[in-house]
Amino acid sequence: MDFNIIIKLNKVNFYYGQSRALTDITMNFRKNKVSALIGPSGCGKSTLLRLLNRMNDLIDGTRVEGEILFEDKNIYAKDVDPVEIRRKVGMVFQKPNPFPKTIYNNIAYGPKLTSMKTDDLDALVEQSLKQAVLWDEVKDILNKSAMNLSGGQQQRLCIARALAMKPDILLMDEPTSALDPISTAKIEELIEELKKNYTIIIVTHNMQQAARISDETAFFYLGNLVEYNKTEKIFTNPDVKHTEDYITGRFG
Amino acid sequence: MEDIMKPLKNNSMKWRYFKQSLFFGAVRLSSLIIALALGGILFYIIVNGIGAISWDFITKPPTDSMTKGGIMPAILGTIYLTIGAIAIGLPLGIASAIYLTEYAKQGRVIRLIKVGINCLAGVPSVVFGLFGLGFFVIFLKFGSSILSGSLTLGFLILPTIIGAAEEALKAVPQTFREASLSLGVSKWQTIYRIVLPNALPGILTGSILGIGRAAGETAPIMFTAAAYFTAKLPGSIFDEVMALPYHIYVLATAGTNIEATRPIQFGTVLVLVAVVLSIDLIAIIIRSYMRKNKRW
Repeated sequence: MDFNIIIKLNKVNFYYGQSRALTDITMNFRKNKVSALIGPSGCGKSTLLRLLNRMNDLIDGTRVEGEILFEDKNIYAKDVDPVEIRRKVGMVFQKPNPFPKTIYNNIAYGPKLTSMKTDDLDALVEQSLKQAVLWDEVKDILNKSAMNLSGGQQQRLCIARALAMKPDILLMDEPTSALDPISTAKIEELIEELKKNYTIIIVTHNMQQAARISDETAFFYLGNLVEYNKTEKIFTNPDVKHTEDYITGRFG
Repeated sequence: MEDIMKPLKNNSMKWRYFKQSLFFGAVRLSSLIIALALGGILFYIIVNGIGAISWDFITKPPTDSMTKGGIMPAILGTIYLTIGAIAIGLPLGIASAIYLTEYAKQGRVIRLIKVGINCLAGVPSVVFGLFGLGFFVIFLKFGSSILSGSLTLGFLILPTIIGAAEEALKAVPQTFREASLSLGVSKWQTIYRIVLPNALPGILTGSILGIGRAAGETAPIMFTAAAYFTAKLPGSIFDEVMALPYHIYVLATAGTNIEATRPIQFGTVLVLVAVVLSIDLIAIIIRSYMRKNKRW
């Protein structure tokens, strides 16, 4: 038994109505690592990501088979409250989605409403913004609307907002696809920094990004996990021909 | 099929510009007609009614079998009934809309309910009046009163408010809900803290229509709230009131001297229009205040 494993998927099937989006996925995510999920559009990588914090529950007519163990507890067991899971498994979305509130209130929103034990909300806001490397840019405008920030700043704000909940895992769904190269570089640096304290699972369409920032990479195709291995191995000497074809751009 | 490739006759630039100005002209003309009709009605009411307006007219009760004096009890009655209708229709309508858009599983049952609500919007107001008479006035023994009238008007404007609230709730970006839920915030907190505040300006916009209707309807209050004449002001929500639309109806059809009271009738119409517009104005001010704070 590997103690470094934080999430274990065991024969997971997922259905949107009648159609199966994920087939027999069995894989483990390791603690304090960056795992990248790659594959062509519609391969099920985002679906898988959203399974891990039960965001797919929001869609009518979906069904999960198999088990997903988070710290050895099946998060789809009947007695598990999805709200509890989402507190421990944070998420950053494809498009920056700050609330139309002040920068301060964007961060304070979650901790305030979830009765998290916070002796000092100001300190938590500052700490979260520092972790997301945004503090220096916004410390003087905390009471201004978050909607006035640039796209890259908004995305880092969203990361800070997720970090304020002190999650164990941070899920990122193509977090840089709506950003320019400079903002992207900043977020990538940030991910490098965050993995010391968090487990990060990231969906990306950008192969170089996966190669640059991840420790492990999983390649999905048509709802199947084709190959899952150390990033270095995947990008230099993949076991499966299909993976190689995708990475080298022969299809996709 | 082969016609597509053939150069069209008369398709010169000049002809196309001519067609364009023709259509623009037609569109402009229809807007103009609407504006003129509205202006004409207002102008006609003001010209005929302004003579009757005086301080006494809006602050004194009617005298001499309603042929002289003011209309203060009717103004007050209409304001009470409108506020009552909003107090009942707005919370109920918003709550229903929240259920329909945020909680209910979208399917055949919900579609059926929505069709039902739309049908309700098309029900003639006199039907609401009779329903109010049968249910609130007689069955629940509220009598002809502000309460019965407000409830009836509240139900009358319910479909308008539900429709407006549904649209406004749907217009709140799904990403806001996802962001909030992904933080481990519960669904109700998400709706209350994020969705509703962002939807309120839109809800108010749609509700303004309902508010105007509540203030102006005659049939629903005829049997449920409005008094032919009462000099005394209501002391509780179980009292009858005079109301502007019904007062106009009475003066114009059943008054003691219909011809002689024409100026008073127009004066009353003018006051009704002013009351409706000022209630709308309050809603518009509240809305723009909210919009200033919430923006995405």
